[in-house]
Amino acid sequence: MTAPVSAPEIRRGLGYWLASYQHLLRFEITNLRVYLAIALVVQTLMGAGMAYMYGFYLGDLSPLGQTWLVTGIPALALFPIGFVVVPNVITQHKLQDTYDFVRSLPVPRMIPALSTFTVFTLLSLPGTALALFIANLRYDADLTPSWSLVPAVFLASLMATSVGYAVGHAIPDPRVTNLFLNILVFTVLLFTPIVVPIDLFPEWLATLHRFLPFFHMAQVLRAGLSVGLVADVATSYAVLAAWTAVSWGLAAWILGWRR
Amino acid sequence: MTVPIPMIGVLPAKRTGPSHWWHGFIAMLRWEITNMRLLLPLTVVVQVLFGAGFVLGIGLFFEDIPSRAALFLSTGATTITLIMVGLVMGPQLVAQQKLEGTYDYMWSLPVPRSAATTAWITLNMIFAIPGMVVALLVASWRYGVDLEISFAIVPAVLLTLLTATLLGYALAHAVTKPEVTLLLTQVLIFGIVGFSPINYPQDNLPGWLAELHEYLPFLPMATVVRGGLTQGLVSNVVQSYVVLSAWGLIALGLVAGSLGRRR
Repeated sequence: MTAPVSAPEIRRGLGYWLASYQHLLRFEITNLRVYLAIALVVQTLMGAGMAYMYGFYLGDLSPLGQTWLVTGIPALALFPIGFVVVPNVITQHKLQDTYDFVRSLPVPRMIPALSTFTVFTLLSLPGTALALFIANLRYDADLTPSWSLVPAVFLASLMATSVGYAVGHAIPDPRVTNLFLNILVFTVLLFTPIVVPIDLFPEWLATLHRFLPFFHMAQVLRAGLSVGLVADVATSYAVLAAWTAVSWGLAAWILGWRR
Repeated sequence: MTVPIPMIGVLPAKRTGPSHWWHGFIAMLRWEITNMRLLLPLTVVVQVLFGAGFVLGIGLFFEDIPSRAALFLSTGATTITLIMVGLVMGPQLVAQQKLEGTYDYMWSLPVPRSAATTAWITLNMIFAIPGMVVALLVASWRYGVDLEISFAIVPAVLLTLLTATLLGYALAHAVTKPEVTLLLTQVLIFGIVGFSPINYPQDNLPGWLAELHEYLPFLPMATVVRGGLTQGLVSNVVQSYVVLSAWGLIALGLVAGSLGRRR
């Protein structure tokens, strides 16, 4: 007796693409449910905690200094999700030997990346808002939020998630990724003009930061929260968009390899 | 081929007395250093960079760093490297041993437990002293701070490192799950670096937190080290020595309690 043979479902077209996206989104959220909750707590603590911490170090701050500090907090709260949590999730897959399984799922190659971006971009919103709220309670900052905050949060978060995704896939050894991330956190918290004006930094370091994404993340978010503190926000948007595009290219190149 | 048979009537060497203890100590120290030979240089470099990084990084946030803040930062970074080695790196290494399954083996070795603990503390000093010295040198180069180093620095550094190491040791041995130890050390880094008046004066903190730090070990550690490096920056150094010694004794009790248990 032979089983009736039916033609396999055609694996292309918009319907297939959307169904895959939905499946992977559900897969990702279910897979990470505990981790996502922890990430949210860490992000809020890091954002709000840093607001207090910098205040302790700096002592008495002028009202302008306080505004700089508070408007830098959203960037600090978004930073760990994209640059730390996303590569860590990929590292976990490698350590648990589920990495190849996820890559072998019968969905278009772009879909896992898209679902990661969706989950982590959405995840970073509540923690960022909460961190900003807590920081604002502590300081007397002069905030004037505008609609430009929406594209700023979206692009900053997307950029961070995309770079983290590319880094997670590009570095083969999880231990190297881990070391790299620890160094990155240390460098960003201590040597990056996020909560203070870039003019305070020595010239060579300021120049370097005009090419790195962290300063520009803070710039676009600050422009959405305040008036008159940020000049030339268009350049910052362009740099962030460039980092996003480059990391997509890198991720596509790495994931496109046959193994 | 003959197999040597133990002679009847000859007892094995007695495992007591100072010379047995000393042999155990030397053997354990050699063991630990050999065990860490690859990790040791890397860890020392990380400590050095961490200390120096703090001194340089925080200065960037000031338009013009006040000399008092610079002095607190320079002396604080010195203390932070000592605390990090004892209270963060130490437990992480023990947790690593537990994860790798070598922990039980280590404690089955026929040496007195106090000798093994002393070897561990000695090893921590090898880790911590270079980072501390470099942090201090970088600080005096970058900010030109006015240090007046006295002999009080010797007991201050020893007591700080000893207490931090014992506290870390207690944490690592009393908490059975290594994952929990690793998580706790992360929380400790955050709390020590950000919310303890080590790198900045105590009056920068809100009143209740400043009050709380009178009873925790971190502020006394910073105070006794400052007492050995500067003149007139800190008062009540004696009280800090008392608080710190009390913490050292509590930690020693905890270590003895968790290591002395039969399992």
